[in-house]
Amino acid sequence: MSVLLDVQDLTVQFTLPRQGLFGPRPVLEAVRQVSFRLEQGRALGIVGESGSGKTTAAMATIRLVEAASGKVIFQGEDLLQLDDAAMRQRRRDVQLIFQDPYSSLNPRARVADIVREPMDLMEIGTPEERRARVTDLFRLVGLRPDQLSLFPHQFSGGQRQRISIARALTTNPKLLVCDEPVSALDVAIQAQILNLLARLKAELGLSYLFISHDLGVVRHVCDDVAVMYLGKIVEMAPREALFDTPQHPYTQALLSAAPSLARRKSRGYVRPVKISGDPPSPINPPKGCAFVERCPKAQDICRRVQPLLESRGQNRVACHFPG
Amino acid sequence: MSALLEIENLRVAFNTRHGEVTALDSVSLTVNAGETLGVVGESGCGKSITALSVMGLIPSPPGRIAGGAIRLAGEDLTRVSEARMRALRGAELAMIFQEPMTSLNPVFTVGDQIAEAIMLHQKVGHAQAFRDAVALLDRVGIPSPDRRARDYPHQLSGGMRQRVMIAMAVSCRPRVLIADEPTTALDVTVQAQIFDLLNEIQRDFGAAIILITHDMGAISEMADRVAVMYAGRVIEEADADDVLDHPQHPYTRGLISCIPALGKGDTELREIPGVVPPLHRLGAGCAFAERCAHRNGRCDSGKPLLVNHGHHPAACHAVQEGRI
Repeated sequence: MSVLLDVQDLTVQFTLPRQGLFGPRPVLEAVRQVSFRLEQGRALGIVGESGSGKTTAAMATIRLVEAASGKVIFQGEDLLQLDDAAMRQRRRDVQLIFQDPYSSLNPRARVADIVREPMDLMEIGTPEERRARVTDLFRLVGLRPDQLSLFPHQFSGGQRQRISIARALTTNPKLLVCDEPVSALDVAIQAQILNLLARLKAELGLSYLFISHDLGVVRHVCDDVAVMYLGKIVEMAPREALFDTPQHPYTQALLSAAPSLARRKSRGYVRPVKISGDPPSPINPPKGCAFVERCPKAQDICRRVQPLLESRGQNRVACHFPG
Repeated sequence: MSALLEIENLRVAFNTRHGEVTALDSVSLTVNAGETLGVVGESGCGKSITALSVMGLIPSPPGRIAGGAIRLAGEDLTRVSEARMRALRGAELAMIFQEPMTSLNPVFTVGDQIAEAIMLHQKVGHAQAFRDAVALLDRVGIPSPDRRARDYPHQLSGGMRQRVMIAMAVSCRPRVLIADEPTTALDVTVQAQIFDLLNEIQRDFGAAIILITHDMGAISEMADRVAVMYAGRVIEEADADDVLDHPQHPYTRGLISCIPALGKGDTELREIPGVVPPLHRLGAGCAFAERCAHRNGRCDSGKPLLVNHGHHPAACHAVQEGRI
C-alpha cells in the first residue's frame, strides 16, 4: 500500500490580539507537532471535542490555514514548500466537503454551475465534456439529471450534501477532506450520506481525511483513527484496536461518554469512566500532559513531563499510564 | 392511578401561507412522577411543539391548540388562565432548551437570574434567593459556586451554562421537567456529564422528565418509556426496552438500524430513503408511506391508529396486517 499523505510535526500557531497597550501578543498553538500517515484508498478519522484542533490540523494539511512548521508530503512532494501556482495545480488532487451544506453552496447559482465550477477554474476538458461530467457525477451521488437547473434552496440538507460531494469529485481528486460531513443532518439522512461515502471510497479508490466528533460515524467510515486533545494526537490506532482496546484515558472516556443502544437505563447502566470539567484553554496549556486536569489516573509525573506517542500493541499512545 | 401529566388527543394547528396545517394530530402521552419519557423523531416531527404546548408557549397567532387536553395532576392546562399558567410555569413545569446561551440573559449574572426565578414563585427576599441560587449551582456541580454566581453567561463554558439552566429549572422543584435536546450543542464528554446530572436530579426530586431527542442512543441511556413521533403523530409508544429490542413501526426500525454503532463497523447502514414530508402536503394516508418499504394501497387511503397489534402500540397498517 503506497503512502498518499505523510504529515510530519505539523504545528499551527495563531497570534492573538495584544493584551493591553504595550502588552505581549499571546500565541496560541492550535496544532502541536501532529504527525500521521494516510495510505492510498484508506480513511483516517480525526476525532476530538471542539477546540481540539482537528479541523485546523486538516486545514493546515491542505494549506487552507498556514502552518508554522512541519512537513506535508503528498505524493512525494512537500505541499508546504510549493509556490502558489504549483499549489493551485495540486488542489485538483485534494478536495473538501464542509459541515454545513446550507452555507457552503452559493444560493444564487444553479447546482449544475456549482458542480461544474471547479472544472471551469482548472480549465479541465471542453465545455461539452464538462457538462457531461456534471451529469455523470449527479447520477453517481444519487441525484437526478433533471434536477441540474435547480437552485440549492430547492434541495433538502442531505441532497445538498450530495451536491457538495459531486462538486468535490469533479476534478478527480485522490484525497477528500471531510469536515464533519454529516453532523448537520438528521440521523436517517446521515446513514444515506455515510453509505454514499463508503461506496465512493470503494468504487473510486478515494482516500479520506475524515474529521468528526461522533465516534460511531468514525467507526463506520474510517480504517484508522487519531484522537486529538488540545492540539495533540493522544492516541492513534487501526479502527478495531482503537475501539476494542483503547489505551489512553481520554479515548476511554470518549467511548464511555458516547451514547449507545447497548447501554440501558432499565439495566442500571452506570458510566464506567467519568471525567469532569471542560477541555482547558489552548492559550495556556498545562506544562505536562494536556489531559492531566481531567484524568482519573493523573500522577505527579503527568504534571511535569509531556508524554510522547509510543507503541503499545497496535496502538500508539501518549500517556504515562496507558491501558 | 392516573398519571402526573396526561396529554390526550392533543391537536395543534398553525396558520401558514399554505393555509392551516396540523402540527400535532391526536397526540396522547402520559408521564408519571419519577419517570423519564423519551420523545424521539427527526426534525419537524412535532417533538418541540409537544413540549411548548405543555408549557403553554405555543405562539398564538399563528398557532393554536385546536383540540384535546393537557392535564397536570387533573388540571387541564389548555383551559387555565394565563395568570395561572404563569404561576405553574417555573414552579410546577420547567423546561431546559437546546442552546443555553440564547436562553440566558447576557446582561445579568447567572446567580441573579436563578434568584429571580426563585423570587417569582417563593416569598423570599433577594439575599435569601441568591443564597439558594449558590446552593443550587453547587448542587449541579459548578466548582466554586459563590464566585461563579457572580459571573455573566459569556464567562461560562457551554456545559456550565447548561448546568445553570438546569439549576434554574429545578430551583422550585418542578414536578415536570422538559429537556428539549439539552445536549445537542455540547461535546460528548460534557453531554455525558449533563445526562448523569439529570438522572441524579430525578433521583433527588422525583421529577417526571420528558427528554426530547433525535438520538436513539440517548433514549437508551436515559428513558424508561419512549414515544416515537413522525409528522405530528405518535407512531409507537412503549417501555424503552420494548421499543429498542422489538421495534414495530418501520420508521422506528429504520431509526434504530441507521445509527452507526460503536460496536461494529463496515456493514452498510440501513437507510430511510427520502425526508419528512412538509406538513401542508400530508394526505389522507400514512405520512410515512412514501419512505416505507412495506407500503400498500391501504397505507395511502387511511391513517393507521396507534393500537396494540401484539407486542405494544404502533400506528402501522403493515404491522396490523401481520405483513412485518
